[in-house]
Amino acid sequence: MSDSNDLLYEDVCMDFESASGVIRALDPFSFQAQPNEFVVIVGPSGCGKSTLLHITSGLTNPTSGRVLLGGEPILEPGPDKAIVFQNFSLFPWKTVYENIDFGLRINGMPTEKRQALIKDYIQLIGLNGFEKHFPRQLSGGMQQRVAIARSFVLQPRVLLMDEPFAALDAQNRQLMQEELVRIWQTQNPTVLFITHSVEEAVFLADRIIVMTRRPGRIKEVLRPIEHMKDASVHWRSLPYDDVIRRQDFQDLRAHVWQQVKSEIGDRH
Amino acid sequence: MKLKSSTIQNIFSFGSVGMMLAAWWAITSMGLIRPLILPSPTDVVNGVIDIWNGYLGVPFWNHFTASLSVMLIGYFSAAAIGVSMGVAMAWVPLLDKIFSPLISAMRPIPPPAWIPLTILWFGIDLSAKVFIVFVAAVVPCVLNSYQAIKNVPPDLMNAGRSLGAKNTTLLFEVVIPSGLPVILGGMRIALGTAWATIVAAELVVSLAGFGFLIMNGYRNLESNIVFCGMLAVSMVGFLMNMAFVRISRRVVPWAAEKK
Amino acid sequence: MKTVIKSSDKFQHVLVLCGWFGGWWLLVELLNVSKDFLPNPLEVAQRMITLTYDPLGAGNLFVHAQASSIRLLSGFGAALVLGVPLGLLMAYSRVLNWIVSPIFELFRYVPPIAWAPFALFWFGAGNSAQAYVIFTSAFPPILINTFLGVKLIDQNLLNAAASLGARTWTVMTEVALPAAFPLIMTGVRIGLAGGWMALIAAEIVAGTGTRDGLGYLILQGQMQLHADLTIGAMAFISVIGVALDFVLRRVETHFATWKA
Repeated sequence: MSDSNDLLYEDVCMDFESASGVIRALDPFSFQAQPNEFVVIVGPSGCGKSTLLHITSGLTNPTSGRVLLGGEPILEPGPDKAIVFQNFSLFPWKTVYENIDFGLRINGMPTEKRQALIKDYIQLIGLNGFEKHFPRQLSGGMQQRVAIARSFVLQPRVLLMDEPFAALDAQNRQLMQEELVRIWQTQNPTVLFITHSVEEAVFLADRIIVMTRRPGRIKEVLRPIEHMKDASVHWRSLPYDDVIRRQDFQDLRAHVWQQVKSEIGDRH
Repeated sequence: MKLKSSTIQNIFSFGSVGMMLAAWWAITSMGLIRPLILPSPTDVVNGVIDIWNGYLGVPFWNHFTASLSVMLIGYFSAAAIGVSMGVAMAWVPLLDKIFSPLISAMRPIPPPAWIPLTILWFGIDLSAKVFIVFVAAVVPCVLNSYQAIKNVPPDLMNAGRSLGAKNTTLLFEVVIPSGLPVILGGMRIALGTAWATIVAAELVVSLAGFGFLIMNGYRNLESNIVFCGMLAVSMVGFLMNMAFVRISRRVVPWAAEKK
Repeated sequence: MKTVIKSSDKFQHVLVLCGWFGGWWLLVELLNVSKDFLPNPLEVAQRMITLTYDPLGAGNLFVHAQASSIRLLSGFGAALVLGVPLGLLMAYSRVLNWIVSPIFELFRYVPPIAWAPFALFWFGAGNSAQAYVIFTSAFPPILINTFLGVKLIDQNLLNAAASLGARTWTVMTEVALPAAFPLIMTGVRIGLAGGWMALIAAEIVAGTGTRDGLGYLILQGQMQLHADLTIGAMAFISVIGVALDFVLRRVETHFATWKA
């Protein structure tokens, strides 16, 4: 068994049964994500990106094809491929501390080790003093940070994120993108990130996958670093406000948007 | 001086209740209505005194033990069995297939309809009353617990599974806590039903209890005793409900947000 | 208890039901008790079929069913006629709400059956007394749900209607009532179920006072020590209860086709 964090998709297909027959959500999807790579998928609604994420997490099994993590097929969900949801999905009856503690506890880590680790992670996400708060007492951005910590504390090999910032307002969204980069760089798991926002994709990604509309297929794969004027530092490490005004950023954004827009088409 | 709207509201509320009480006192003291139809406040007070001194030879506290303790035994057994059953049925499909028809068949039978059959089977002693309360309370507990487990938000379950929870861990650490508000809701309904059912059972046959007071007050044409019985029944019902709501708030504080 | 049932599921459902009936039969055989204590399913069915042509008390099975239904409809009808308009008005007028609510809350915790003695004092022995008991059971859910149904309407809907020039009465009848319809119907269904329960309780509690009705049949079974009559009547009552709820749900879907 390899310790590598690469993700290999081999002809992954997904069909759904509905009242009107079989619907194909995902056409054969083949792709390899490098270890520790930040991959972002953008595409129109219904293109199968959420389905892809669920398959990668092991929550759903594909109709055909398979996904390999470090050479091992993914068959069931687990903390090594933890998923962060759009609506946070924090356990409302548990405090911030208890939410983050959950995965560690049920996977058998002894209490003293857990306490130290959780303290570190609460510090990392900047929520010192909020350990005993309940999710309903926190803002959206804070809740999402707890959700990220809850998954991240398990040191996943793959971090899966399903439009994690879509439920936040524009300002929080921007702050959270920068937060996410900072947190991610402490461990560098492979990331599979789904979004509707082209700006978000262009800002964060090592590689962007543009999907067609249903049944979803890969339309284009881009490497933002190839489009950066100064490729020595990825612009996600720079302040968002500076990056967004740059010409190279805007050009890439326009190109990606054009690709996505052509998929949305007139069935709108 | 502008009054706060909540003060105005209180004025109207107390005012209307006050008017009603005043009208009650006025109508009865002016002799406009027979005591049988509407006992006067003094009659009611006399009734309370009678009951305190042992109406029809029954000591005062016996009424409480008869009605309340019997109901509580039946209720708690129903809650324990009903909630477990509802949860188990929602979690294990085989159990659902086996027991759903039974529950669906029992569900539309009004609890009071069980009274004569229970008397036929158990006679008129304690076990009969406990059985009737059990039958009345178990159905809402099963139904609500079932719905609570079936309606766990999928993302919450997926979060649990993704973090590594399986099978029983998932059930006890994620699914049941998530469904607790609805389960408690079912238990609250069951409490009200249980209370109404024990009173109905006591109206049919009993030697003590609030239903006994109401029935014998009726037989002896003592409307003030009936009134006292009704008053006691509604007060106890109200207090139990309030206690349950308070306890619920402590157990499931996060549910208060959802309305 | 699932909402979407496939035909294979229906078949399994019937199979399990047969299993339970079989188990009942087996229990009766094993316990070897008299049929007056615990009859088997066939004996219960036979008794009920006999009742359709062979009268007991006031008449045959349908006479009793009719008697119960009339009481139910009068009590339930009164609850409907009083509850819906009052709920609507209370939602519109804060003052009316402040006046009526406390009185309503005071009486709300009296179990419907506890009203029976006073109902008998007021109306004498007869259908009105029982209709009153049914009323006290059906009224609260109808009132509360109508009130809530109107209160919870999106204010923008009402504002839109008003800004188009509609007068209060029009807004109330053409916007508020339809928008509140789903919640009102829920209250009506709960009220009907509660009323049905109160009816049976009233007929049983009235004991020798009643001469007809389905509750009377249950009671007769117990007094004559004929469990087959009691169980049969209980089964018949639950069938009617289900049928009534089914009718109401049809009404609901018919009038609320606009709801997804």
